[in-house]
Amino acid sequence: MTSDPVAVVERARAAIARYDRPDLDERLAAAHARLLDDRTRVLVVGEFKQGKSMLVNGLVGAPVCPTFDDVATAVPTVVRHAEALDIALLRPDGARTTITGDELADHICEQGNPGNREGWSHAEVGLPRPVLSGGLEIVDTPGVGGLASVHGAATTAMLPSADAVLLVSDAAQEYTAPELDFLAQATAVCPNVACVVTKTDLYPEWRRIVELNRGHLAAAGISTEVFGVSSALRWHAVLHGDADVNAESGFPELIGYLRKRVLGQADRLARRGVVHDVMAVTEQIAGNLLAERTAQQDPAAAAALMRELTEAQQRATALKERSARWQQTLNDGVADLNADIDYDLRDRMKEISRLAEDELENGGDPAKVWDQFAGWVQQEVAAAASANFIWATRRVRALARHVADHFSDDREQLLPALRSHPSDAIRSVRAMVAPKTEDKGVGAKALIGLRGGYSSMLMFGMLGTFIGFASAINPLGLGAAVFMSGKAIGDERKKQVARRKNEAKAAMRRYVDDVTFQVAKDSRDRLRAVQRDLRDHFTAQADQLKRSLLESQQATERAVKASRAEREARLTEITKQLEQLDLVRKQARALLPQPATAAKAAATATATATAAVAGRAG
Amino acid sequence: MTALADSARRVLLLAIDVYRHQPDTARWLHDQLRRLDEPLRVAIAGKVKAGKSTLLNALVGEQVAPTDAGECTRVVTWYRDGTTPRIVLHPHIGTPRPLPVRRHDGALEIDLGATSAEECERVVVDWPAQSLRTTTLIDTPGIASTSKDVSRRTVAFLDPDDDTPTEADAVVYLMRHVHAQDAAFLEAFRDQGVARATAVNTVAVLSRADEIGGGRVDAMFSARGIAARYRADPTVRGLCQNVVAVAGLLAQTARTLRQAEHTALAALARTARDDLETELLSVDRFLRAGRDAEVTTEVRDRLLARFGLFGIRLSSSLIRQGADGPAALATELVDRSGLRELEQVLHTQFAERRDVLKARSALLAVDSVLRSGDGTGHHQGPLTREIDRVLSGAHEFTELRLLSALRSGSVTLPKRDADDGERLLGDAGASPAARLGLEPGTPSNEVADAAYAALERWHRHTVNPMLGRATTDACRAVVRSCEGILAGLGTLA
Repeated sequence: MTSDPVAVVERARAAIARYDRPDLDERLAAAHARLLDDRTRVLVVGEFKQGKSMLVNGLVGAPVCPTFDDVATAVPTVVRHAEALDIALLRPDGARTTITGDELADHICEQGNPGNREGWSHAEVGLPRPVLSGGLEIVDTPGVGGLASVHGAATTAMLPSADAVLLVSDAAQEYTAPELDFLAQATAVCPNVACVVTKTDLYPEWRRIVELNRGHLAAAGISTEVFGVSSALRWHAVLHGDADVNAESGFPELIGYLRKRVLGQADRLARRGVVHDVMAVTEQIAGNLLAERTAQQDPAAAAALMRELTEAQQRATALKERSARWQQTLNDGVADLNADIDYDLRDRMKEISRLAEDELENGGDPAKVWDQFAGWVQQEVAAAASANFIWATRRVRALARHVADHFSDDREQLLPALRSHPSDAIRSVRAMVAPKTEDKGVGAKALIGLRGGYSSMLMFGMLGTFIGFASAINPLGLGAAVFMSGKAIGDERKKQVARRKNEAKAAMRRYVDDVTFQVAKDSRDRLRAVQRDLRDHFTAQADQLKRSLLESQQATERAVKASRAEREARLTEITKQLEQLDLVRKQARALLPQPATAAKAAATATATATAAVAGRAG
Repeated sequence: MTALADSARRVLLLAIDVYRHQPDTARWLHDQLRRLDEPLRVAIAGKVKAGKSTLLNALVGEQVAPTDAGECTRVVTWYRDGTTPRIVLHPHIGTPRPLPVRRHDGALEIDLGATSAEECERVVVDWPAQSLRTTTLIDTPGIASTSKDVSRRTVAFLDPDDDTPTEADAVVYLMRHVHAQDAAFLEAFRDQGVARATAVNTVAVLSRADEIGGGRVDAMFSARGIAARYRADPTVRGLCQNVVAVAGLLAQTARTLRQAEHTALAALARTARDDLETELLSVDRFLRAGRDAEVTTEVRDRLLARFGLFGIRLSSSLIRQGADGPAALATELVDRSGLRELEQVLHTQFAERRDVLKARSALLAVDSVLRSGDGTGHHQGPLTREIDRVLSGAHEFTELRLLSALRSGSVTLPKRDADDGERLLGDAGASPAARLGLEPGTPSNEVADAAYAALERWHRHTVNPMLGRATTDACRAVVRSCEGILAGLGTLA
């Protein structure tokens, strides 16, 4: 017996091959593909120059991310396992350019490629390192320069697609408010968040800083682990093979956390998904066989069985109707969410507009501080949009769980043993929030946030238009002031300032409106996609159920017409096939070590013919 | 230059006369008048933990400002030259009261007593020190990035900066290594309340420069490179005059180096090189190595607090290269900390412009009184005219404003000669030689030749029909500066 989920799925597919059920096979094929492609993404985020790239290099024990005193990462870098070193740059459309290690720095650093004007989506580095085996994928993000800033918003958009987040800050300073806010957002949508305090080799007070940070976290009600690490020590250890220094660097604990907690959790989720899919599929096949066996053993009872099966099938058909409870929950929920998210967004934006107008009204000449003001508005708008995004993500997930619960309840009336775990719905939604990118090769979906998240591309574009206006207002203000200053004291200046104030207000309002419009549209699109995906997902399951019940009916009909000799032969064969299915199910159950789940699964497995049939009928 | 100071004084006296019936305003204007003769006031501002107090200590050469690993300076503190040490607390409400002058382990302790930091307007420390004679230094609390009202303060920045009188004449802004394009960078320049920053009276300091390079021995080298890059960055140019990299802690320690510290460092330097390098891999290792060593753990702890890993690495290597004796080591360390460079910049950017900056502060003060417009409208006519006359008449102000505009990019000079033009306007120093880009001490006939050449060059720009109106005006201002240099030489001859 094996505990490899891939092998179990492959066996299950082989076992059901003879029953000609392409729909069920497709489900297992999808599970299979998900397993092969399942990567555990760890986002490394933090303010500028905190040692993020050094940390990534330390984690994988190789100088993959360029680091130097004056080097800043401009393009996210995904480091993952590969048989041989493989470095590539990717365009947002998925186009791939393979490059050498020396070229990497020219393209992904602020110096060679300021503000990512070359327009790469991200870089991929494949490395043959054991620490990365098991699908661990480490994403080095550009320093966000103020976690509430525009870059910060882009990072926030990546959060829902990450399995873990490491917030990096150095031991020079305790946490600031933006960092704590970011942590609160991260813990809301990401299952694993850990704090890493770097450069412990350099700061004598690093233990105190770690303690202070723990205090801040506790005060903010955030429970995460805090690791103190020194990339310099780790690097020394890597170069000299010094185990003592390695232990002191704090990296072993961090790697242990990533492997045990993060990978472990992802693995558990994957296994649970596989068990669920294999069980569901084999259950349906076994159900057919059991129904047929009942009919073969006692043709007299077949009529009653037929009636029950017909009723069950009607109910399964009803699951596809819009009037089904899960469908109603989904449609109402999406409508409500649309309204709520839109209101939340507009409310936040209105508050920013109001505050900005106040300040423009009460302040002096806007031309003089336009850059700072524009920067501030941008930052506030970006922060509001990402807060709205996080909130929407949480609500969407809650809705998905709700729908899944309802679907399970409804379905339970047909087949009680198939109740799905709530986490299953979250998994499906996580995949759905992202645009479908399977056809663009593995890893392309790694940076969903950068590609699909509205906060990134869109907002950079929007923010650009705002800055553009700044240059329009500036020369007017400063240029004139330089040579007019002597005469300008008095009414003329007041008039000019008043005019500029109005212009500034109008520009600000236009900008906030534009962003609100775009973000709201994107929100709606995202919700629609979620709605469609959830509907398709559950409708497909309803279809599978319906078809299984139909086949049971046909098998029962055939059984009634069969001769005695045929019947006996058939019964032997059914028993044999059921045994085979049972074996697959046992292997699937073995994937889950937890006793509680195992007991539940065992109960399912020992379900007798009567139980299953009664379940489907009742 | 004194002509400008005289004009400013005349305007102030006129204003005091106009406002003689308003005692509060008159008293305030009297203060401004007195301020004209005082040393230049330089505020040290920046984010929390940027190392403001440490740098102040380094500039003074004594540990007068308390420093700590946690957030430390909570009250605006002035450090003035005085004959005897004296500390006076000025509360918002009530009369100033003296505080006890106590020193602990060479460092001055400022104990506010029962007064909370919020009630305190400022603390004024009189301290006999050579460096304070020409400059009064103002230590400010860090711009609290943790507080919720950051956004509020940002928008409060909208208050006009050019036209508001400020308590400080110039600002040194400290920042840790940050991204030139990000908002946090701008935040480092946000208004501190005491001093309003403009490009012409601000110098930025890349503080804690040793940490940028992870404390390696060559860390300052790369920090200087980063400072040079910032200097060339248009965003940064719009915000400040210059960017200098300084290892604040090292500078402070070097200025106050003790014999015992040198002895301990010398003992460390005698350790085998590889062994010491292994000890210095991390602070934990360095402390642990003191268990049975000549230099004990306690001494190592003190050394770390005073030098940092970078300082210890650098010092031991300097001692190995022959810096024996505390004096020699201190000189080397000050050289390498970047402090001299900062002092040089402060000298050219601030001290040489002292009169212009002072007069600017004074005129802005009178202007603000005028514009607040409390009741004496009919007297304002002559005063307004006088301010206008000085503001528009003094070429120094034109230069200052133009430099500011050039830095903000709202006005441009012909590209080929832009650097030359900025230098002629006094960007690199106000002396004729500095303006013409010549070595100090160049014979005056050579200076005159260079000035004539510059005058001719820039005169050609003023008659170039292809240049825009603003640029032509700017070129005319440069021509005036050239004429000013020649006029100055004429009086000398």
